[in-house]
Amino acid sequence: MNDATYVSVYFSYFLFFLLACGAIFFFVRSLKDGYLGSDSEEPKYRMLHDDEGDLPTHPRRMS
Amino acid sequence: MAVQPTIASAPVVAGQDFHQDTTVKMFLLGAVGYFAIVGIIALIIAAKFVWPGFLGTISYFTYGRMRPLHVNGMLFGWLLAADMGLAYYIVPRLCGVKLWSEKLGVATSILWNIIIVSAIFSLLGGYQKGLEYADLPTPVAILVVIAWVMFGVNIFATIATRKYQQMYVSTWYLMGTILWTAFVYLTGNFATLLPGVTGVNQANLTWMYTHNAVGLIFTPAGLAVSYYFIPRASNTPLFSHKLSMIGFWSLAFVYVWTGAHHMIHGPISQWLQTISIVFSVMLLIPVWAVVYNFIATLKGQWHQLSDNISLKFLMSGTVFYLLTCFQGPMHSLRSVSAIVSKTDWIPGHAHMAVLGTFSFMAMAGVYYVVPRIFKTTLHSEALANWSFWLFLIGGLGMFTSLWLGGFWQGWQWNNPAIPFIDTVVALKAVWMVRFLSGIIIFSGIVLFMFNILSTAIGAGQRQTIAQPATAKA
Repeated sequence: MNDATYVSVYFSYFLFFLLACGAIFFFVRSLKDGYLGSDSEEPKYRMLHDDEGDLPTHPRRMS
Repeated sequence: MAVQPTIASAPVVAGQDFHQDTTVKMFLLGAVGYFAIVGIIALIIAAKFVWPGFLGTISYFTYGRMRPLHVNGMLFGWLLAADMGLAYYIVPRLCGVKLWSEKLGVATSILWNIIIVSAIFSLLGGYQKGLEYADLPTPVAILVVIAWVMFGVNIFATIATRKYQQMYVSTWYLMGTILWTAFVYLTGNFATLLPGVTGVNQANLTWMYTHNAVGLIFTPAGLAVSYYFIPRASNTPLFSHKLSMIGFWSLAFVYVWTGAHHMIHGPISQWLQTISIVFSVMLLIPVWAVVYNFIATLKGQWHQLSDNISLKFLMSGTVFYLLTCFQGPMHSLRSVSAIVSKTDWIPGHAHMAVLGTFSFMAMAGVYYVVPRIFKTTLHSEALANWSFWLFLIGGLGMFTSLWLGGFWQGWQWNNPAIPFIDTVVALKAVWMVRFLSGIIIFSGIVLFMFNILSTAIGAGQRQTIAQPATAKA
């Protein structure tokens, strides 16, 4: 038995496996939901238009 | 005091009644109050390093009771409460709907205050578990779990009823905060107490909790706040939403493994130490994704920092985030850890993360939100600026003195010819600088609290103005 086959290490292998599965699942889900596609930048513009309205534009701000 | 609205404090009337924001008000005002109270505790502790006999004969003020109260008070009374209040503000707006249940939010706030007051009395009374960041007695910790479930249900139910399919990155980070906090907190406060979890195993779980309390609770919450308020306060779109998502998922994958780097050269398996080092270095990926995004967002907009108090705190917090997250991977390396581990370097690093980075981000949010939810202007822009500079100067004094002192301490500890007590005496000058820096920081806290409470209390007496015409990039 060495460090790589010590019994408690298998628990870590299991956690790695779960994380890898989760990463793959959410990567595919993100692709489907458009987070990595052409629409991926849409939320950053929408959040500036939420119901609070906008701040007054600073006089020196470049438009 | 006549106050002119500026970009940082301009009240916006149109559409504001859509959100009730009672929960936001309760959480934020409570958090600001606790920030000041626990700041006094911090000063007492700093004084004790310089004058060990200070208040030493009064049991309630001994170091063993003051230190847990300072740590837990800052983490849960101030920072987490502020982040929760800001989450109650951000999520409904990003989702385009009202908070799922304002009543549940108010009940959560009341319970949270009961927890903090219980924590103050129990920790002062000496009732604690003696575990880092998990000092709260088990009954109080159970109340924290209940409050967190109430918070999580409200936020997730709000997100579930959102108007838009695609969620902005702040929503992702806040969902991550809620889920990660659940397992991190349960591990640190309950799994560590299970039968058979003793010695090294308990220490390993504790460090997993302690490090991830910062990495998987305050980091995602702070980044959610920054991702929302940097674009809003500067009125400028985020540089890249795609990059922000890469940062989020890489943080989710990397952070959880890093806690064991606090036990480098300790009695734990070499493979566990190596894993923690590898993942600590990999942290540079999400950190750079975040920092680059924030800095690129402000490209051409840096001039706004001159009169925008929220942006000042946010961008200073970003710089501290970069520094602290460069420090972390570096001191996880075996060669560096051999010098700085267990020295004053570590509290210097922790204070830059919790105060310099995430408290700066939370204060930016509070300065932005409070005038808006009370439909008024900030009580004083000048005081807000003073508070910023006091925090910045005091913080830099504390961080740098602890880093340099910690390195010096580590070199002395590595020299067996130097008696330990000599290394303690040698650091007295460093601790004096920390105490003086603490006074400056505390002055900033007082101004911050006064300004925010005055804004809230005097809200009805100040004039509200109609929203000016807007322009978008």
